[in-house]
Amino acid sequence: MTQLRQDYPEFEKRNVQLIAVGPEDREKFAEYWITEKMPFPGIPDPRHRVADTYKQKVDFLKLGRMPAMMVIDKEGKLRYQHYGSSMMDIPENSEILEIIDEMQKGSQEIPVS
Amino acid sequence: MAETDALALGEIAPDFTANDSEGNKISLSDFRGRKIVVLVFNRGFG
Repeated sequence: MTQLRQDYPEFEKRNVQLIAVGPEDREKFAEYWITEKMPFPGIPDPRHRVADTYKQKVDFLKLGRMPAMMVIDKEGKLRYQHYGSSMMDIPENSEILEIIDEMQKGSQEIPVS
Repeated sequence: MAETDALALGEIAPDFTANDSEGNKISLSDFRGRKIVVLVFNRGFG
C-alpha cells in the first residue's frame, strides 16, 4: 500500500483512478487509511462482497486473502488481471504503469474501418 | 456454464457500488468514459 501511495502521482499523471479494497471492517480500515494518509479511495469490504465479485482468492490456510489487481479501461472492459499466488505476490507498479501507457497509446490510434 | 475462478479479459468488468472509507458512495461505473481504473485487492493490513 505504501508503494502505491508513493507512486500515486504516476497514476494521477495518467488520469488513472486507483481504488483499493480491503477485508478489514469499516472502522479498522478507515483508521489505517487516515493514518497512512492514503490519497486514493479505499473500500472496506469485510463481507467480501466486492472481493467475491472479482474472485479474489482466499489463501489456502483461510487466514486471509491473496492480493489481486485489475486494470479496467474507459469502456469498462477488464484489460489486465493479476491474482497473487502468495501474500507477497503483487505486480510492480512500473509493470502496471507500462500496461496503462500501452492502453492509452492504443486508444489514440485512428481505427481502420 | 462452469464457474471459472478468474474474470474474462476483454469482457466488461462487473460493476460494484460500495461506500469508501469516508462514507462516500463509489461505483466502478462512475469512471466509465472518464478514467482507467486500477482496482487493488489487499491481503489485509496485518
